[in-house]
Amino acid sequence: MIVDAGYQALPIALVVAVYAFAASFIGGYRRLPALVLSARYGLYTLPVLLGVSTAALVYAFVTNDFSVRYVAENSNLAMPDKYTWVALYAGNSGSMLFITVTLSAVSAVAVAGLARKLSFTAPFATGLMALVLTFFLAVMVLMANPLDSLPFTPEDGRGMNPLLIHFGMFIHPPMQMFGLVSVAIPFSIAMGALLAGRGGRDEWVDQGRLWGVLSWLVLTTGLILGSWWAYTILGWGGYWAWDPVENSALMPWLAMTAFVHSIMVQKRRGMFRMWNIVLVSIAFTLAEMGMFINRGGPVPSVHSFAQSTMGWTFLGFMAVTLLGSLAAFAWRIDTLKSREKLESMLSRESAFLTQNVLFLAVAFVTLWGTIYPVLAEAFLGEMVTVGEPFFNRVNGPILLVIVLLMGVGPLLPWRRATARSALRLLRYPLGVAAVLAIVLAVAGIRSPVALAALAVVSLSVTGILHELLRGTRSRHRKGESYPLALGRLLAANRPRYGGYIVHLGIAMLAFGAIGSSFYAVQRDFSLAPGDERTLGDYSFRYDGIDRTTYSDRDEVIARFSVSKGGNRLGTMTTHRSFYRDFRMFANRAAIRSTPIEDFYIVPSEFADDGTAVFRVYINPLVWWMWYSWPLMLVGTLFAISPRRYPVPTTQRSFARAPVAAGARAAGS
Amino acid sequence: MAKTRTRLVAGTWWRVLLPLLVMAALAAACSRGDGIPELERRAHAINREVMCPVCPGESIDQSQNPVAVQMRGIVMDRLRQGWTAGQIKAYFVESYEPRVLMEPPRSGFNLVAWLVPPAAVAGAIAALVLMLRFMRRHREASPEPVLSTAERAEYFARIEAITDVGGGTAVASPNAETDGGP
Repeated sequence: MIVDAGYQALPIALVVAVYAFAASFIGGYRRLPALVLSARYGLYTLPVLLGVSTAALVYAFVTNDFSVRYVAENSNLAMPDKYTWVALYAGNSGSMLFITVTLSAVSAVAVAGLARKLSFTAPFATGLMALVLTFFLAVMVLMANPLDSLPFTPEDGRGMNPLLIHFGMFIHPPMQMFGLVSVAIPFSIAMGALLAGRGGRDEWVDQGRLWGVLSWLVLTTGLILGSWWAYTILGWGGYWAWDPVENSALMPWLAMTAFVHSIMVQKRRGMFRMWNIVLVSIAFTLAEMGMFINRGGPVPSVHSFAQSTMGWTFLGFMAVTLLGSLAAFAWRIDTLKSREKLESMLSRESAFLTQNVLFLAVAFVTLWGTIYPVLAEAFLGEMVTVGEPFFNRVNGPILLVIVLLMGVGPLLPWRRATARSALRLLRYPLGVAAVLAIVLAVAGIRSPVALAALAVVSLSVTGILHELLRGTRSRHRKGESYPLALGRLLAANRPRYGGYIVHLGIAMLAFGAIGSSFYAVQRDFSLAPGDERTLGDYSFRYDGIDRTTYSDRDEVIARFSVSKGGNRLGTMTTHRSFYRDFRMFANRAAIRSTPIEDFYIVPSEFADDGTAVFRVYINPLVWWMWYSWPLMLVGTLFAISPRRYPVPTTQRSFARAPVAAGARAAGS
Repeated sequence: MAKTRTRLVAGTWWRVLLPLLVMAALAAACSRGDGIPELERRAHAINREVMCPVCPGESIDQSQNPVAVQMRGIVMDRLRQGWTAGQIKAYFVESYEPRVLMEPPRSGFNLVAWLVPPAAVAGAIAALVLMLRFMRRHREASPEPVLSTAERAEYFARIEAITDVGGGTAVASPNAETDGGP
């Protein structure tokens, strides 16, 4: 009964979504507020309807209702109830339901805000969100209803893929899917403003930026969690492999990163209006491609969790998005003239544009490498692989230039700088970078690439810290204590200083990535219990194994006593499980993480006497990558936080002053 | 002014430098794989560039599949016999297909794979420069300057009064350098 209700809710939701789309657009063009309102209320009902379906699916999982195909395929009697959450999105149709219900909920929140703030744009933005939801719902209803039933009821289900049974699985995949689908919101807002003919008025910018930044945050979180999961569970000692699915999650992130920067230029200067619309359209197209590659696309991947032909409908939707965006853009291009002109090649505006171009270049190169094997096979009949070495070689240098620009760009003033003033601002960061490079070279880092990379990171960090310090000091000189001065400085321009905090996080990420890519050490050891070995400063003794049998798996735990430079660090354990139903092994590494380096042991097959080959890694600076995330979270939230405190009187009177009023009048 | 700045620098220099010195110390403190034999190091570098034929997307270095383990053994054996990295890779290409390498070969049509990215970056930068110049040249299309010179001077004076950021910064420099602009 409950399952039936959930099954029926989906076609109803589809009808409502189609109505919301049509009514919103017609109401928007014909200026019929009642119709627009009805469409909006229609959109508000979608999370409810989809919630019913989701609840029905959860109910089917919890009650082990194996007559539901999806439940039979993704759970079994042995599965603990808490994994229902994971099973919800572990398969193809379930993940469709997951992204649809998530998008509908976020759309409802976004639309409520839009209706209040952007009355002209809101109908079109609402209509576009309804259109995207219509697509997802149509795919589910016509091709993959997660509540479809089997013609018979099996005794037990097949169970979930054991690689997915991990703590990280609770947050990484939902974050990643949510991130990809959430790009639809800023896309709808920007495209809605364009269709409404309001693209040239910058009123949509605040909402577009808010949702763009939120979407960026979710994508970032998904990527970092994914890397962290790969590092801790998949046990190959790495965190990023330029796998097609990783790439497809990275590409929209790159485009969104470009967008959240470039939108600031429109916010502050009324420029880049066309460019922002183009960027967000690219981001959404790439996000759709991410969903496409994830769902049985043409590229082989270790992530191919949902093989199906459904991917091709995503490809069609992607083409529609791209062509539709282009058409809308061409139709409304006359409304997108810049308010102001570029004054100098050397300015923050041009730094932003350069950053955008470089981000898109990385996205393009990544796309190229991802699809090249398909092209080569289609046109040459030759199978080639484009893997990690290719991407590192090609993208590495561009990424390094981006990190460099992260240090230089924010120091440049809006409008124009001169070479002299720019050099003056860069003097300290450049000095520090040079000193650091020399110190590191003396300390024994020989690789010129690693030295250059570390110097570039230090340049960025110095630039940011120096800016903060200079602002704080100048406030301190006016009588504020240092902490107060810093707080007030940050609060005075949240988008800017929030961005600086995020930049510090990115620098930490780069620091970790450089350390671990250039200086990771790995070695395989064949060990019998009692053997003792050393690697780097670490020595470790293999103490032996414990075998445990669980209902679904056989687990072998290997114990190691580890010490570093004579100091005992304690016992570390690796886990290796054999999942009988899947005939599959899953490893969990033993990791001891410090800001300097991680000591990391991965097991492989064990002989009966406990002899096994262990791969031992020393991964420098990886710690910094994981701890960059809290900093980025704080910085992002700070950058979009509304100002709550009263504006100091000096600033208030300044805002009302005739010059500023004149600027507004001339700008509109 | 110059004197203030010097003092400012002297007072703040070490504070900026401190976190960086910490980072440098960390980077320098990391363990090195000094104890690993040269041959193993070379084998490792090769392993990372050869794909495991039965586990798509994974190198024989990453994979624990028996095929990958066996191929790692072959790499080590051939290195002991004095083969070069190129010879070993060529051997694998002959035994399997070009796809056994983790990156496309740098010859024949597959050079395209390598040439497109730098060409794209060069093209994008060229487009960027042209675009920036275009945006700059078309200044006559813009309406009258939003602020007159006098207004602008007042504007920046106020900003300076509020923020009081000395020493050629984002807000101070346009005041000095844009007024005389075209």
